[in-house]
Amino acid sequence: MREETWFKWLIISTILHFCLIGALSIPVKKFSRKIDLSSSYSVSLVGDMGGSHGAPPGPAGISEGKNLPAKEPPKPAPAKVKKPAPTRVKPVPVKQEKEVVSLSKKKTPPVKETKKTKETPTKDELDALNRRLREIKKRTDYLDVTSKRQTGSPGKTGAGVGTGSGSGGLPGIGEGSGKPIDLVTQKYWMDVREKIMGAWGFPGAAFKKLEALVTIKIRKDGRIVDINIDKGSDNKVYDESILRALRAVDPLPPIPSSLNLDSIELPFRFVPEGTT
Amino acid sequence: MLNMYSGGVLGLITSSGPMAKTVMGILLIFSIMSWTIILAKLIQFSRTEREGEGFIQAVKENGSFKKLIAAYRESPDNPFYKLILSSYKEIASKQKDNNPRLEPETLPLVENAMKITISEESERLERRLSFLATTANTAPFIGLFGTVWGIMDSFREIGVRGSTSLAVVAPGISEALIATAMGLATAIPAVLAYNYFSGRHRRILSKMENASMYLLNILEK
Repeated sequence: MREETWFKWLIISTILHFCLIGALSIPVKKFSRKIDLSSSYSVSLVGDMGGSHGAPPGPAGISEGKNLPAKEPPKPAPAKVKKPAPTRVKPVPVKQEKEVVSLSKKKTPPVKETKKTKETPTKDELDALNRRLREIKKRTDYLDVTSKRQTGSPGKTGAGVGTGSGSGGLPGIGEGSGKPIDLVTQKYWMDVREKIMGAWGFPGAAFKKLEALVTIKIRKDGRIVDINIDKGSDNKVYDESILRALRAVDPLPPIPSSLNLDSIELPFRFVPEGTT
Repeated sequence: MLNMYSGGVLGLITSSGPMAKTVMGILLIFSIMSWTIILAKLIQFSRTEREGEGFIQAVKENGSFKKLIAAYRESPDNPFYKLILSSYKEIASKQKDNNPRLEPETLPLVENAMKITISEESERLERRLSFLATTANTAPFIGLFGTVWGIMDSFREIGVRGSTSLAVVAPGISEALIATAMGLATAIPAVLAYNYFSGRHRRILSKMENASMYLLNILEK
C-alpha cells in the first residue's frame, strides 16, 4: 500500500480514538451523581444507644434547617445540652480567604436564625444556653485538620505530647474574641485534632481545592454526639471520608474535668495535605 | 475542576500519576497504530479478494493468455495481474526466435516464477500484520505494568499515611486499574483483527495458488 494511504488511515484512526475518549468522558461527567453538601446538616452518632428509644428527639442537631438530608434516625439529645437555634454563631474562618473563591457561590445559607425553639426555655435550658454561649465565645476559628500524617504515631500522641507540627495551630488566640481560649481547652482541642488526623486520610494530590468546615460536638465522656458540616466541600467522597474518620475516632478522650463542661463543640477545617 | 470522580475516563487519566500517564500514552499510540493497520488492511484485503475472484472468473471464461494480459493492463497493482506478468516475462525470456510452441522445460520455470510472485504478494499482504500480533501480546502487559505500579503507589500511600481506609486505597487502585482496562481495550481488537486477517490471508493465498494453476493449465494447452 502506498504511503499516503497509510497516512490517511492514521489520521482517521487518531480521530476515532479521540472521539471515543471524548464520548467516554462527557456522559459520565454529565450524569455523575452529585449531591449538594453545601447546606449544613447533622449526623447523629448515638441514635441507637440502648434504652434511649423512648426519649423525645431534642431540638438540637438535626432539626435545624429544612433541607437537611437526615442520614440517621433523630438523635435523642443528651438531656441538658439543648441547642437553641438562635445562638448558633458561625465564626468567620480566618484561613478561608485564599480558597473561598471557588466555593463562594454555595455559601452556607444562614439557617440558624430561621427557626426558633417553640417552648419557653426552662431554667435548665437557659443554663445550657449560657454554657453554650461561653463555649462559642471561646471558639474563634476552625482548627485545621490536614490529611497529612504528623510525625509520630497518631495513636500514641493522643496523650498530647509534642503535637501539631507545622500546619494548624490554634487560630486567633487573643485576637478577635475578647477572651483567649484557656490552655486546657486548647490542649484538648489539639488532642482531638491529633486523633482525627490519625484516622483521616485522603489523597491530596488531585484535590487541592477541597475544604470542609465541620463542627463536632463531644459529650463529657468523649463520645461524639453531633457532627455538623458547616460547609461541605462539594465532593461527596471527600465529605464522606471525613464522616468516616470521625466515626472511626468516636470515643474521643473525655473532656478534661477541670473544664467542668457537659459537652463541647470543636470546629475543624478539613483540608487535603499540602494546602495549608 | 476535572477530578477522577466527575470527569469519567478522562478525569481518571488526568488525575493519575506520571507513570500511569506514560503507560496510557504508550497504549494510546499502540491503539492508534493498530487501528490504522486494521482499517488499511481491511480495505487492502477486501480489494485483493474481490480482484482474485474476478480474475479466476476471467481465467475460467476466456482461456487465452494474451486476452488476460489485455484485460488487466490497467490495474498494475493487482497481485493476480503480477502473476500473469511474471509468468509472461519468464516465458518471453525462454521463448527464443518467436517459437509459438512452449518448450516443455519452460513450464517448471514458469511455475517457479509464479511461486516467487505468490510469496512476494503474500509478504506484502502480511506486512504490518505482525504489529497487530505484537500489540495483542504486549498491550495487556504494558497495562498490567501500569496497574502494578499504581498499586505499589497505593500501598506506599497506606504506609505513609498509616491508614488503610478505603478512601486512601481506592483512588490509587482505581487509577491503577484503568491502565489494565486500556491495555485490554487495545489488545482485544488487535487479537480479533489479527486472527481475522490471518484467515483471510490464507484464503487469498489459496486463491492465488489456484489462479497460478489455472494459468499453468492454460499454458500447457
